[in-house]
Amino acid sequence: MTPILAIARREVAAFFATPVGWLCLTAFAAISGFFFAMMATEFSVQATTAAYNPYVAEQINLNDWLIQPFFANTSVVLLMLSPALSMRLFAEDRANKSLELLLSSPVTSGQIVLGKFLGALGFVSVMLASTLPLTGMLYWLGTPDTGILLSCYLSAFLLAASFLSVGLLTSAMTENQIVALVTGFALLLVLWVLSWAETIAGGALGQVLAGISMLSHLDQLLKGLFHLADAVYFITFVGVFLFATTQRVEAFRWR
Amino acid sequence: MIHVDQLSKTYGAVDAISGVSFKVQAGAVVGLLGPNGAGKTTTMRILCGCIGATAGTATINGQDVALAPAAVKSAIGYLPETPPLYGHMVVRDFIRFAATIKGVSDVEGATDAVIQTVGLDHDVGGLPASERIISHLSKGYQQRVGLAQALVHDPAVLVLDEPTSGLDPAQRRDLRDLLKRLARAQNRTVILSTHVLAEVEAICDEVVIISGGRVVAQDSIEALRGTGSMIRLRVGQPSDDLVDTLSALRGVSEVVDEGEGRLQLTVGADVRADVAREAAVFDLLELSQSEGLEDIYLRLTGGQA
Repeated sequence: MTPILAIARREVAAFFATPVGWLCLTAFAAISGFFFAMMATEFSVQATTAAYNPYVAEQINLNDWLIQPFFANTSVVLLMLSPALSMRLFAEDRANKSLELLLSSPVTSGQIVLGKFLGALGFVSVMLASTLPLTGMLYWLGTPDTGILLSCYLSAFLLAASFLSVGLLTSAMTENQIVALVTGFALLLVLWVLSWAETIAGGALGQVLAGISMLSHLDQLLKGLFHLADAVYFITFVGVFLFATTQRVEAFRWR
Repeated sequence: MIHVDQLSKTYGAVDAISGVSFKVQAGAVVGLLGPNGAGKTTTMRILCGCIGATAGTATINGQDVALAPAAVKSAIGYLPETPPLYGHMVVRDFIRFAATIKGVSDVEGATDAVIQTVGLDHDVGGLPASERIISHLSKGYQQRVGLAQALVHDPAVLVLDEPTSGLDPAQRRDLRDLLKRLARAQNRTVILSTHVLAEVEAICDEVVIISGGRVVAQDSIEALRGTGSMIRLRVGQPSDDLVDTLSALRGVSEVVDEGEGRLQLTVGADVRADVAREAAVFDLLELSQSEGLEDIYLRLTGGQA
């Protein structure tokens, strides 16, 4: 096993060994289950209405009324829970002095950062997998568009990767997990709503802000429209934050 | 084997170490002594590649720590003052993890071997210590787990930062015995920092004394004792001839006759062999260097604890 995978595996195991990991998993499963139930109920009411109204019947479908809103809400839940998951990745190691093991081993800072990131992403994948019984039910109830469903899962995965990369950096900036949590959440919130500034700023600046914002890139993916530009945005986003975290870990050696 | 040359480390405006230089031969067991804040831990962390030096070089087997960190780290096992452990892990899993990130090819074999070497196969509450969760173990056993991660890749150099601090006397004795065995059995080069001078005398061949971020002495314990400034002796046949003979010896600056065959010599070099040879003619009964390692340490470090 390579050092990166060994570090990732240890991180996944650490999530399952700590209350925070279980709390996040339980909260995510419970909240997404609640959202799904609410939206399924609403869909069911609308579908009943549609039976007597051909115009509404044309408008209503599983994809627009259930899948997309569900994943849009799931994204917000991920936004809130990701900093709680990522806060301990470096801060705990620094506070417990266990980072010395990694720093004195023949692994590079990049390998350490990548290992921790993949570990956290692995745990979030388990969280996302907890929604599979819900989305699986859609095939029993109707005929959802598998392409849109896959695109929604991909968007949730890319979003989670972006959130965790930001959280990883804030965790590497401090030994205090609460500070890492709060700064991580604040930074994510700013990046999340940046597109709202488009109308205020206007012009070229507004377009730049919208381009940086996560929301504007998420919309297309949730509709099942896979644009290369959106994929490049998320991959670049993650790359930039992982690079910054690697530089931060290098700085531990040279402070 | 280990060559530290003019090593300096600055934190902002504070010099943690300044121009530290020493050499350690392969297979030597060296004690790094010095008061708190003298720069022992900083020196060790630079040697192990955890932090970089502001100036100077540190080489291990001819390889520069800053230029070839991966090769150097593969050759070093480091146990910091606080063992770098993941408390929620089972001991065996933790050692496996350490072996993997240290690039060990036979992870299972190395894990089993090191568990035996450091005594983690002993029963603790009905289970071998190796099968227990780390945070459930005593501090003594946790220190052994820390030692296991430092040894699992069979490094040529072992760097131990105050390995017995915080242990009770029995745990300290056990760990000291283990360190003695480890150092002697495999011809491993060991650098050990401690405040317990008895430990240094029991384990180490040489000492490097650091004070105020600088090396103030490096020598074998025997030679350092020889730099003590007082020799006391007792002979069976007191005589003025002996006083005259000893006074004439090179390195002896003063001889005081305390009566009943007891003499006190003020010396500036290691003259114990010469003194013993001359005193033997007058029935030498006792001869001792009046300064112990502790006195020498306190003199060299300016009496700092």
